[in-house]
Amino acid sequence: MRDGLLDPRAVLLHESAPDRTAAIRRCGRALVEVGAVAEPYVEAMLERERTISTYVGEGVAIPHGTNASKGDVKRDAICVVRFPGGIDWDGERVTLCVGIAAKDDGHVPLLAALAEILLDPDRARALREATEVSQVLKELT
Amino acid sequence: MAHRTVVVASASGLHARPAKVFVQAAARLGVPVTVRLGEKAVPAKSMLGVLSLGAVHGTEVTLEADGPGAEEALDSLVALLSRDLDADEALDA
Repeated sequence: MRDGLLDPRAVLLHESAPDRTAAIRRCGRALVEVGAVAEPYVEAMLERERTISTYVGEGVAIPHGTNASKGDVKRDAICVVRFPGGIDWDGERVTLCVGIAAKDDGHVPLLAALAEILLDPDRARALREATEVSQVLKELT
Repeated sequence: MAHRTVVVASASGLHARPAKVFVQAAARLGVPVTVRLGEKAVPAKSMLGVLSLGAVHGTEVTLEADGPGAEEALDSLVALLSRDLDADEALDA
């Protein structure tokens, strides 16, 4: 994936959340904390999720904002938040969230690159089971 | 082998939401459909596969299917891709 998208401080590997909403808030906060998005983006991520689930397969969800919230994106970025205990995601079990913030059409190549990585079962597993930030950075850069 | 070529009409391309609508429709068909873009060919019912194509607004993709029901299946998916699924979202809101 493109350089500079993933700030090591936005890789959180030992999180827990009671439900999908809390998990998305955690992802949103990670993006806020690295200065990639403004606060209202977090609510837009929840709004998006209410419209349609961002579960993509392989135990991974990719929460992101609505088209209307692109103004709250300061720079393209992702965060990686791992929930080892699992989150019920509308009937699917999610252990890894990749939160996404992208301006304009930036999300399309970003999602394509991410999907390509997750289509490789070994790399998907390495991400789901990562315990070190360096492992995540290695798979995603 | 039945096939159709169609231009992705969704304003933001075949990304998370329009991709999901497309994948869910493909999964309901009961006929395996392949989406082809250049060298890449992925199952239409695979979210990760469809996302990996990186199709933007105006990208031309080819849909392929075989066997009974293939023509109808392709027609329904072509109709979906020809619509702006992001505009539908605006209507939902």
